[in-house]
Formats: sequence, C-alpha cells, structure tokens
Amino acid sequence: MSIFEYNGSAIVAMAGKNCVAVASDLRFGVQLQTITTDCPKVYPIHEKLYLGLSGLKTDAQTLHEKLVFRHNLYKLREERNMKPTTFGHLVSAVLYERRFGPYFCSPVIAGLEDDGTPYLCGMDSIGAMETAKDFMVAGTAPESLYGMCESMWKPDMDADTLFETVAQCLLSGVDRDALAGWGAVVHLITPDKVVSRTLKGRMD
Amino acid sequence: MSRRYDSRTTIFSPEGRLYQVEYAMEAISNAGASMGMLAKDGVVLVAEKKITSKLLDSKAVGVRKEKMYKLDDHIACSVAGITADANILINICRLAAQRYYFAYQEPIPVEQLVQSVCDTKQGYTQFGGQRPFGVSILYAGWDEHYGFQLYQSDPSGNYGGWKAAAIGAGHAAATNLLKTDYKDDITLAEAVPLLVRVLSKAMDTSLAVDKVEIATLSKDPATGKVIYKQYEAPEITPLIEAANADKAAAASS
Repeated sequence: MSIFEYNGSAIVAMAGKNCVAVASDLRFGVQLQTITTDCPKVYPIHEKLYLGLSGLKTDAQTLHEKLVFRHNLYKLREERNMKPTTFGHLVSAVLYERRFGPYFCSPVIAGLEDDGTPYLCGMDSIGAMETAKDFMVAGTAPESLYGMCESMWKPDMDADTLFETVAQCLLSGVDRDALAGWGAVVHLITPDKVVSRTLKGRMD
Repeated sequence: MSRRYDSRTTIFSPEGRLYQVEYAMEAISNAGASMGMLAKDGVVLVAEKKITSKLLDSKAVGVRKEKMYKLDDHIACSVAGITADANILINICRLAAQRYYFAYQEPIPVEQLVQSVCDTKQGYTQFGGQRPFGVSILYAGWDEHYGFQLYQSDPSGNYGGWKAAAIGAGHAAATNLLKTDYKDDITLAEAVPLLVRVLSKAMDTSLAVDKVEIATLSKDPATGKVIYKQYEAPEITPLIEAANADKAAAASS
C-alpha cells in the first residue's frame, strides 16, 4: 500500500458565484482499520481561506502547523490576512523546500479573494501548483471524485446549490473507497460568513 | 584609566561595571517615553512619539506606529530607545512566540517570551564582541496561568514584573508619580486616563494627538479572547485634552 494511502482521505473544493465550498470526509484510519470518525482534513487559515490536506496525517498536521506559523508572522508584519493566491504560492514553496524528502500530502486551497472572486488551487506533494475555475479534488478516491464533479459542476452556482453539489459529489465519490468516508464536513465560504455543516453518509 | 576597557563591549571595567550596557541605558533615557500600567481587567501602554512630521506617511504598513507593536495575539509591547534595534528585537519576539506555538500548540506564556528575549539580549553583553541592543521594552500580555501581566526589560537582559513602569525620557519623574497615584485594584477604564496624565506631567512639552500612542490589552467579555487595541486620533484627543487641562490647572494653582 502506498504511503499516500496509509490514512485515507477525500477532499473536494468547488467554486460558485462569489462563493467556494470545500469538503472532506471524516475517517481516520491506519491502513484498513478505522480509528476515529471525527477527523476532518480541512483547516481554516483565515475567514476566507481554507486549506485541505490529504495524505499522510502526521505530515498533514505538521504542514498545517508550519503554515499557521508562517501566516501568523505574515499577519503581524503586513497587518492583514494573506491572500489565497499568495498562500497557494507559500504552500508550494514550503513543499518544494523538501523536494528530496517530501511531505506526503496533496493540498487543496480554497478561498475568496478580497473582491469576492473564488480561488481554487491544488498541488502535488512537491508543490506543483494548478489553479482551477471549477473544482479541485484530492485523496484516496480521486477518480470517483473527478467523475462526480465533472458531471455535477455547473458555472455560477449560488451558495445553497453549491453546498448540495459539493456534498453529493463527496458522499457519492467516497462510497467505492474503503479508506475514505464515515461522514463529511462541508464549509461554504461567502463574502460575509462561513457556514460549516457535518453530514452523515454511509457509515462504512 | 578605565577608558581603555570600554572599547570592548563584553568586558568588565576595573570597578566591575559593564560600561557599554550603562551607555546603552543612557541612550534610552534620551529617547521617547513609554509607560505601562497593570489593571485588574487589562494592561494599558502609553508612549510619546519622537518622530513627528507632516511628511510622515501615516498609512504605510509597519511604520504607522513608532512605539507600540503586537507580538502575538495575546502579547503587545512598547519600546524606548534606538528604533532600528527595537525592530530586530520585535522580530525576535514574534519568531519566539510562533516557535513556541508550533511546538506546543498553545500560546506562549508572557514571562517565557520575556525571558527568551532577555536571554538573547544578555548574550550581547557577554560574548560576540557586538554592542548591546539600545532598547528597553515594556511587555503587556495575558496568559491563562497568571492573567494580565506587565514586564520591563533593559539592555542588560534583566527583566522584572511590574504593576506600573516607565522607560525613556522622564522615567524617574514618571515612576515617582506612578508610585503615589497607582492603586492595586484599579480598572482599565481608570488606568488609561491616569497613565495619560502621568505622561503629560512627566513631559515638559504639552501633549498633542500626533505625538502620543495609546494601546490597551483586555479581554472581550463575550468571547473571552484577548483584544489588542491601538487608539486612533478621535479617542486620543479627549484623553490628552483632559491631561493637558489637569497639568495647566496644577501649574497655575
């Protein structure tokens, strides 16, 4: 089994009209044993920026803590939050620093720019970045998730439609994956607030 | 004869003094004043700006405040001395706080931050052959172990916890005033105008809005989060007007 599939994860992020949604499954397992079912893979960096980290959980935790460190210092010096594009490039740089001993994570970054335009990007474990206008997936079930997103995504969805779409894509996408699932958490980011909902799916 | 010895910064004089450290403290007593006061429900910091000019770009990030700086979400500081030296120390403080949070996933206790910066400052008085930092710092912070705290550090690397403290120009006069005026159970709302009055009495010139910085550290009663607030001109004006009026009344009586 690959090191990327040791813990299991599924992350989907999608862009709507002036909103983004980012969702992950809740399973935490060690190979085929499920340990807990309350472990989200999406972390807030600031109100309009969320970071999803799939892959090896220990690396995801450390990477997240490193990036919080960098963002806190940035906030003190610049007296503002980091823009999503800037943060994406920071994550890419941090990952490439470990080019020959990488963090076994694939990040997904979802946020809103200052003017409300959605920002989505994803990268591999050594920082190769790709931005997207529609959706970004990561984890142990990428093929299923890509399939679901490709068929369900439409441009300019409003917040409620976007939430439904992301939720269905994730919950159905993880059904054929033994290592991801056991419920989901969805964060819906709009210019004035973030709504987070925990969903119950097939608990297997 | 002892002149021969103070060309090296990290050497004792024959009388057992560290001249460079003392000279650094001299530099600070000519710099803009900074004062702090600990209240039951917060800490207030007040400072006199030395660099005032119409040409200063008040909107430039990072240089808008000359004396007050946030070190972490729960700790702020006010400096007195050589501003360039202060910038280095402030960066060191911020890094120390983030390194602690990275390792322990909890905010750094205030005294630990002060201690680690002071250990750095002390190093410059013992090895390296480099001069000490010409900065004294007042740290205001809150942690869950000891609540609100106020610390003062100086170029020697020494620090102490205080109920009220003053550094920079006029600090001796200010300390005397604080000794008489301070009450143990003072609230933040009473401490702010009191400290502004002490600043105005210790200064020979009268206060103006663009010469004063005021900041408070308190807790939001609803969320329990620590709030660092830097006062803007409309809030500063009534405080200094009251202080100036007080000073004029005392002078004429």
